[in-house]
Amino acid sequence: MSIILKKLNKRFGDNLVVNNVSLEILDGELFVMLGASGSGKSTILRMIAGLLEPDSGSIMISGQDVTHLEAQKRNVGFVFQNYSLFGHLTVFENVEFGLQVRKIPIRERRIRGKELLEVIGLTGLGDRYPHQLSGGQQQRVAVARALAYNPKVLLMDEPFGALDVKIRATLRQNLREIQRRLNVTTILVTHDQEEAFELADRIGVIERGMLVETGPPDHLYHHPETETVAMFIGGGNVLVGREDNGQIRLGEILLPWPEKAFRHAEGSPVRVLFRPETVMASREPFHDPQFHILGQGRVVKRIFNGPVQRLILNMDQLRGVRPLVPALHHGQTRTQIEIIQTTQGLDHPIQIDDVLWVGIRDYHVLKPSGIKILVYSDDPIQNPSAQTFALHLGRSVKGLVSLISTVDSEEGIAQKQGQLDRIRLQWQDQIPQISVQVMNGSIQEAIQTKIQSDLFDFLALDRDCMGLNSRTGMEKLFQTMLEEIALPVIVVSAPQSAINHILICTAAGEPGKSDIQVGGRLSLRTGAKVTLLSAMKPSQEGSELERVTQYLEEAGRSIATLGVDCRPLVRTGNPLDEIILEARKPQYDVIVIGAVLPRAPQKFRWPEVAIRIIQELGKTVVIVPMQEHR
Amino acid sequence: MGNSFQNSNPWKKYLLIGLSMTWFVLLILVPVSGLVGKLAGLPITEILLSLRSKAAANAFLLTGKVTLITVVVNTVMGIIIAKVLVKQHFRGKLLIEGLIDLPFAISPVVAGFMIVILFGPYGWMGTWLETFGIKVVYSLPGIVIATIFVTLPFVAKEVIPVYKQFGVQSEEAAEVLGASKWQTFWWITLPSIKWGVIYGVTLVLARSLGEFGAVLVVSGNVINQTQTATLFIHQEFTDFNYTGAYAASLLVAAIAFTVLIVIQAITDRHKEN
Repeated sequence: MSIILKKLNKRFGDNLVVNNVSLEILDGELFVMLGASGSGKSTILRMIAGLLEPDSGSIMISGQDVTHLEAQKRNVGFVFQNYSLFGHLTVFENVEFGLQVRKIPIRERRIRGKELLEVIGLTGLGDRYPHQLSGGQQQRVAVARALAYNPKVLLMDEPFGALDVKIRATLRQNLREIQRRLNVTTILVTHDQEEAFELADRIGVIERGMLVETGPPDHLYHHPETETVAMFIGGGNVLVGREDNGQIRLGEILLPWPEKAFRHAEGSPVRVLFRPETVMASREPFHDPQFHILGQGRVVKRIFNGPVQRLILNMDQLRGVRPLVPALHHGQTRTQIEIIQTTQGLDHPIQIDDVLWVGIRDYHVLKPSGIKILVYSDDPIQNPSAQTFALHLGRSVKGLVSLISTVDSEEGIAQKQGQLDRIRLQWQDQIPQISVQVMNGSIQEAIQTKIQSDLFDFLALDRDCMGLNSRTGMEKLFQTMLEEIALPVIVVSAPQSAINHILICTAAGEPGKSDIQVGGRLSLRTGAKVTLLSAMKPSQEGSELERVTQYLEEAGRSIATLGVDCRPLVRTGNPLDEIILEARKPQYDVIVIGAVLPRAPQKFRWPEVAIRIIQELGKTVVIVPMQEHR
Repeated sequence: MGNSFQNSNPWKKYLLIGLSMTWFVLLILVPVSGLVGKLAGLPITEILLSLRSKAAANAFLLTGKVTLITVVVNTVMGIIIAKVLVKQHFRGKLLIEGLIDLPFAISPVVAGFMIVILFGPYGWMGTWLETFGIKVVYSLPGIVIATIFVTLPFVAKEVIPVYKQFGVQSEEAAEVLGASKWQTFWWITLPSIKWGVIYGVTLVLARSLGEFGAVLVVSGNVINQTQTATLFIHQEFTDFNYTGAYAASLLVAAIAFTVLIVIQAITDRHKEN
């Protein structure tokens, strides 16, 4: 191992810029750290070089712990983004600087300097000054200067960033050759994925100071684990389907699970990735056993790109399937996919509005993500119940929390942003994946926008915002939100931080089991106990009671297999009263209720149950939209 | 790098020269030209004799000493202050960045007065130093402190932008390449901030030679003891001894002028490279 990073952390002021990064780099490897600007990748590089000291964690170079060693004693080569050549020294003096400070005799320095100028192809230019060279030549001088004293590792910070595209391509190949020839372990930092693909033995993707994933370029491209990597590397289609009895459901389409796919819980969301160039599209229907037909799509956009063309298609049969990539535009209702086709030999080029049959062969399932919570806070200071609950939940499940708030006027933005930023700073150690955002406009619009941008598992709201404490308010939420967002909504009534015991309420005639799944998922992540309640009328006793009991026991067993302490319970009487009586017991801190969509026959009066629990008992309620039977 | 520095800041140079020139023109050249005829009408021996007087020689010697000490102290301190203000982050940094401009804003007479208050026979620093037998006001240390005070910002202010632009990154590069702190300073930092230092020193030099107000208040203007060149000129002038006044003025002007010409020549030669 040439370089070993262990749990590196670095903070600038209040911001955690590098978050628990551990990494091992092999001898002679060219490792590329890929990430957007501000992701913390350069900071990691500067810590390895010794230009910054980590707050915690350790750095080993060639078996030596250099965490607290000064930069000049680390013997690393560093190529700066703007090269930082010494302007008052000639090219030759720049190159031999590292040898001069090491007190190497002048004769040896001359020989080594000439050798290096030859390696970088600048023989004869040794007497020039840096400002007399082109950008590409300066970059090569910087590389030679960094390699002069045979450093143990070479670190490069966006070495091609300041060059134009044509020179970049040549210099990349140049660098790759030199690196191979000298077999020097190299870390290169870039935001350019093309560069990363071309150069890297391995890529590490950095986001918000975290090392999200590492792997060889082709593996990261075809088999990423996370959405970040799927979206950051290459173009792609990521659709959100659902686990459905051992298959993946995408709208009306069922796909078999690929081999070696990550295990998903029953009914849980499944993110399916397929690359645009692996999609087969044709005007005629085709039957190829290797391809799974996604139905027909209409071309809405065509971008000609020389050898290939990119097409955007509206897919009718994927209606209702949420695409993460390409992202939904505002007001767009149909699911779109992107495909890439070669343009060679097309007798009848594809035009806008053409209808094509579409099939996919190579698709990949992303790793199930941790729980993601969207929390809307009306007033983060005066009324923190919802955010407090969500933040504690986010911490205990090691999930992602996205905290949003809205303002009516421009003037309020700075103040709100300040409030939210303070919350973020206060929590970012415990919830690394915390983000805050102040949005303009109505609450509904803000929530809608966020929900389209990411795959959230829960929406948390305070009962005092949106008038959720009244029947009309609840019904409004029920109509306008649950239906559209299809997301479990947590209505928080009072500040509460722990979840110890969850009561899942079911009732006779209830159409689905999403509430049980959601409750089970919550308890699995938080370690809370579960009581599974079914309330039924006394007249239903007999065979119906038997059926319900059996159903509850089955459901309880499947939750229990996840390692959750689950107890089924049947109460007879007026279902509404029975649920309230049970929910009133002090041990329950979260009540899960299924919400029946208005299209389905409404046998279960959930809004009333929810309102009474919120108003009379002051407890937190999770309202789970129920899926319709097909 | 020096080249690009010059190209990016031609105004600084012209501003500096313009400033010095205006100073000379207003304070020396205009009166000189008005009376240069009179001076020219006098025998050259008389002019030289007036400069060879004991009072004149002592005044120029004192100005020379004060200027030398001020230039050395303010160059070293200016570079240190610039490095600290650019590289270090600490509480009160903003305050110091604001305060560094104070000598620009305060009238030299007021500055001199502040020193008298602090270091004078009844000032708390003055009484404390008195116990060690050190006399500040109405002696050399007071004049030096006053001159250092009024020229304090010049070097730091000139060096900060150049250091930010070239010094910090070059220092990091040198550090990673294995250079020690001293090697980095002498081989890399100083050459990259060279032009800022030279401009700053020129300013300090010109200002030290010509400083009048602060020195007038602090020195006590004792002939042969605490009288500087500019005070000597003033004295001769108020004594209606025009020959001495203008002879000394011409000498001060000539010294400052020579400094400027030399700097100009160095700059031009550097430009050609």
